[in-house]
Amino acid sequence: MRTMRGRSPEVLLFAGFVGISTTLYLAFNWAPSVSINAFESPAAQRIFYWHVPSAWAALIAFTVLFVGSAMWFFKRNTLGWKLHVAGSEAGLACGLMVVISGCIWGTAEWGTPWDWSDVRLNSFGLLTLLAIFLVLGRRSQPDGVETRDTFSAFGLYGFLLVPLTYISTRIWQIRHPGPVGGIGAEGSINGDMRFVVLLGALSFTLFIAGHMLVSMRITDMEQRLERAQKILDGGLEWTE
Amino acid sequence: MDGMNYLSFAYLGMIAAIAVWTWTIVSRSRSIEERLAAVEASIGIDSDDADELAKLSDDA
Repeated sequence: MRTMRGRSPEVLLFAGFVGISTTLYLAFNWAPSVSINAFESPAAQRIFYWHVPSAWAALIAFTVLFVGSAMWFFKRNTLGWKLHVAGSEAGLACGLMVVISGCIWGTAEWGTPWDWSDVRLNSFGLLTLLAIFLVLGRRSQPDGVETRDTFSAFGLYGFLLVPLTYISTRIWQIRHPGPVGGIGAEGSINGDMRFVVLLGALSFTLFIAGHMLVSMRITDMEQRLERAQKILDGGLEWTE
Repeated sequence: MDGMNYLSFAYLGMIAAIAVWTWTIVSRSRSIEERLAAVEASIGIDSDDADELAKLSDDA
């Protein structure tokens, strides 16, 4: 039976889910509307309250992926491998949320879901494709040092796309809107909007942290299960 | 109003997707936990030994 501490990932997941639901409720019913002159589709702009926090969570997940990849690649640290697995799975989920919500908004606002000339869209799309490759590739390969080395190397090089994605709209503003927060942002949203976005960012952070902790627990249990099954099959001996 | 309907549909779809994703990963965790407990019990490892086993597994 797990203790409350042992269930802390589930608590984080639940708190994050409640926060995300609250964010969406506020985005619908409380956040002010944008100027109808500034947007082709002012209502669809509210998808921003999902898109920006999920992008924030994706960047956290990709950072965890990078740290885990480095820990495994350079130190053969098993915690690093668990972080790599958790970061790639969370990065894939959040990446898909960002890309899908972006495509929905792009369709309503631009009349097209994707712009192949926009650096932000394409660098983030590549990050998500990298996460798909890492998750599906790992599941199709037997676990081993060589497999982990290969995927960790991709995790390390792929992280170059994270700073590129972050600075892209600050350097090349092609189609994707400019930054609304962080370094180089001009503060283009008002106080109520900012509150809802920050609540969303906090909620998505809790949610993704819970997911990564559950994922790390699963990886740990899979390794224990594999080891225990080898003992059961007589391949290994368990000595007290 | 069309825009708000479009947005409602998108939001509901996305919240349903993350709920399914969460349910899937938590169910998977519970399923593996039960299998692990059964296998460890069948080879006579108690919970303290299981922790040692986890360390061995990490070293392997």
